Amino acid sequence: MRWQLGAFSLLVLAVVLLGATAGRSALGGSSASSTLIDGTTDTVTNLDPAGTYDYGTFTADYQVFQHLMNYTNGPKLEPELATKCFPAGGLKTWRCNLRKGVTFQDGSAFDSADVKFSIDRVNNKSILKQAAANSPSPLIGNLKSVTTNGKYAVTFHLKAPQVTWPAILATQCCNIVPSDTYAPDKLMPNTSQQIGTGPYKLVKYTPGQQAVFQAYSGYWGPKPKTSNLIINYYSKSSTMKLALQKGEIDMAYQSFTPTEITSLQKQKGLRVYSGAGGRIRYLVFNVTRDPGNSAAIRRAIAYLMPRQAIATRVYHGQVTPLFSMVPSGYPGHTDAFATAYGRVPNQAKAKQVLQAAGLTTPVPVEIWWTPTHYGDASADEYAEIKRGLEKGGLFTVTLKSSEWAQYSATLGTQYNVFQLGWFPDYPDAEDYLVPFYRSDTFTQSGYKSPIMQTLIRKELGAAKLSQRLGYIRQIQALAAKDVPIIPYWQQAMIAVGRNNVHGIPSTLDPTVYMRFNKLSKS
Amino acid sequence: MSGQGTSLRRYALTRIALIFPMVFILVTLVFLLMRVAPGDPISAALGGHAPPQVVANIKHQLGYDKPIYQQYFTYLGQLARGNLGTSITDSRAVTDIVRVNGAATLELTFFAMIVAIVVGVVVGLLAGRFRDSTMDTGGRLFGILIYATPVFFLGLMAQLFFGSYLGWLPISDRASPITQATLQTHTNLFVVDAIIDRNWSALGDVLRHLVLPAVTLGLVTAGVFIRLIRVNVMRTMKDDYIEAARARGIDERAVVYHHAFRNALVPVITIVGLTTALLLGGAVLTETTFNWPGMGRELVVYLGNRDYAAVQGIIIVFALVVVVVSVVIDLVNAFIDPRIRY
Repeated sequence: MRWQLGAFSLLVLAVVLLGATAGRSALGGSSASSTLIDGTTDTVTNLDPAGTYDYGTFTADYQVFQHLMNYTNGPKLEPELATKCFPAGGLKTWRCNLRKGVTFQDGSAFDSADVKFSIDRVNNKSILKQAAANSPSPLIGNLKSVTTNGKYAVTFHLKAPQVTWPAILATQCCNIVPSDTYAPDKLMPNTSQQIGTGPYKLVKYTPGQQAVFQAYSGYWGPKPKTSNLIINYYSKSSTMKLALQKGEIDMAYQSFTPTEITSLQKQKGLRVYSGAGGRIRYLVFNVTRDPGNSAAIRRAIAYLMPRQAIATRVYHGQVTPLFSMVPSGYPGHTDAFATAYGRVPNQAKAKQVLQAAGLTTPVPVEIWWTPTHYGDASADEYAEIKRGLEKGGLFTVTLKSSEWAQYSATLGTQYNVFQLGWFPDYPDAEDYLVPFYRSDTFTQSGYKSPIMQTLIRKELGAAKLSQRLGYIRQIQALAAKDVPIIPYWQQAMIAVGRNNVHGIPSTLDPTVYMRFNKLSKS
Repeated sequence: MSGQGTSLRRYALTRIALIFPMVFILVTLVFLLMRVAPGDPISAALGGHAPPQVVANIKHQLGYDKPIYQQYFTYLGQLARGNLGTSITDSRAVTDIVRVNGAATLELTFFAMIVAIVVGVVVGLLAGRFRDSTMDTGGRLFGILIYATPVFFLGLMAQLFFGSYLGWLPISDRASPITQATLQTHTNLFVVDAIIDRNWSALGDVLRHLVLPAVTLGLVTAGVFIRLIRVNVMRTMKDDYIEAARARGIDERAVVYHHAFRNALVPVITIVGLTTALLLGGAVLTETTFNWPGMGRELVVYLGNRDYAAVQGIIIVFALVVVVVSVVIDLVNAFIDPRIRY
């Protein structure tokens, strides 16, 4: 029997040795300075820009496609495929002059027909049906039509004045594709060649696994600092963390848990970079139903919100307390909630508000959160909120959770106080206010304030920046007074890279764009 | 003989014909479960950033606001035309998911089955042959432990020890990023693709990536084999023909290896079929743990998004595989043992 045992041991050893020795040459190339390998837990929906509204796909598309306006070099909006965009007769008509000499990655020339084609196809009925929930068409809900003015100019006719229209042109709605390659009524499948004017060509895409990019030799702008880019997709951040630690990937962006980031900060050979970010978290009240229909209860909770405890204990300092829906760092931001309710929890004030309203304490409150959409730390986050609200005996909090598919279909209809998060469509204070406080808000908070609606209308149509920022401040102040929503943290943009990856800090800004073309490897 | 042949043919036809009602029942159940489960694909994608009216409009466009029976008949009509549908989340044809991700699952389960059979047979035979010895106790303990260990836990431990601590093996994916980027895909079975291209370094890389997930999944499945084979060997060793062989003076080694072990292995054929379902179930967790882009991992993602078409399509394919394998095993058993005619 011994020889069988010996043979088996040899077989196992042979398998292990084959595995251990083979493939080294293929792996050896992974650290080549010409190829940057990024890891992400983001997912991709439709690479065709007419069918995508999510951040994961946007990051992949950003390397391939371009816009008329963009945040190409940082948080300042600047012309990209346009040379200039300006109002032509009030804020309802915008004209863009286009850059000449730009070619798509299939060799065809870029002109105004491509712009009109690209934006019209976003609203094409057949494309809308194919894109379903992924359509970026809501971003151009204010667009009436696009007309061309010769080969190198286009005019956008809007339904209502909008001062932030150039910022809209930098969003997912308005990537430019060649009119002779893409069908007007059919999304280009992910497995087909996607063609843009950007710094990289997408040369291979395997769904859920990998996107492979190569520098586009005919790119009109500065050449990418790394010729090849690979984005590797992970289903779990723990696996991505191990891959980064083992050197299988060069960097990772989006998203680690707070504990993983703390662990990576201690790892030799890796650097954790943190920059201004626009991701926020907030608590929504349905103001038409108990207990959110009591302004006193909402205000008392605003007095007690344990922002600093969440930031320190749950997120290890990777988020900062937020006192307005508009993140700090954005023009127009004010700490409206700090002004109204203080920077630290105030039990005396909370008690006073509840007593003044004749409410008996402890007030029972049921708060809903989801463990499957806003990260693993949500459980601790809500445990901290419960602890904060119950301290002093003013509230009895019951926490309830449901997975995202159920949560997203139920919030607002059955949940009365619930967790939500936001990531900007475009980096402007407007995008943090209008969707939340207008009367048809997606949050289903039921908040309908005529004063707020007037302020929103004025902000959207304000021609002067100073005037617009004034309205933005007023909206924040009113929102803090009425409290249909309590914002509580904003998160930094965090990326982790090996020591030989350079340039990451230059792309971490409130636009939350990952500009891989500016990163290099030594 | 011809009577037996007719009987076997009738049995085979009956078993094959039963596939259709089985799959039909499963399709119906999955369809209903997906519809009655809370949540829907549009809310999952748009909830938290689109007004309810927009969500309602899209549901209407896709027909999700129609009565369930209407949606069901539309779906059956699609299936009858051989159309498994297109995922809502990323507009992928379900056939494409089966082709690309199914190949990854097939590759993983194939190698896992090899590991399961090798480990299961060797440990089971030794434990059975040397009953009540240290080897037997060790084998039984090993079998129970690996069978009882959750596959994701075993995978995580393997990742941490062999991948992270010792640094011997990769901890995720089917190949290193550069190999994956450069490997030409002909069949989506990376081992086969690397061999077709005679890309030996890629083959080595792919095999290295296969070791941890295949061994993890294979070991869990091996637990079943170990216990079954051990019991079979012990039973066979007591059979009359073994005693007769010994009485005839045949060498003990020949008795054990040529008679007892061979006969003890016959039921393994049945178990291989039954464990296919176990392997596919385990593959879902193994794939998630090792970031293995198989159908199991995709199923988890699509389920989270309530992607009706993708979930239904993947489950139908899983079910078909299990049903077909079980029919094949039944037929093989019926062929081997003429007493089997249900």
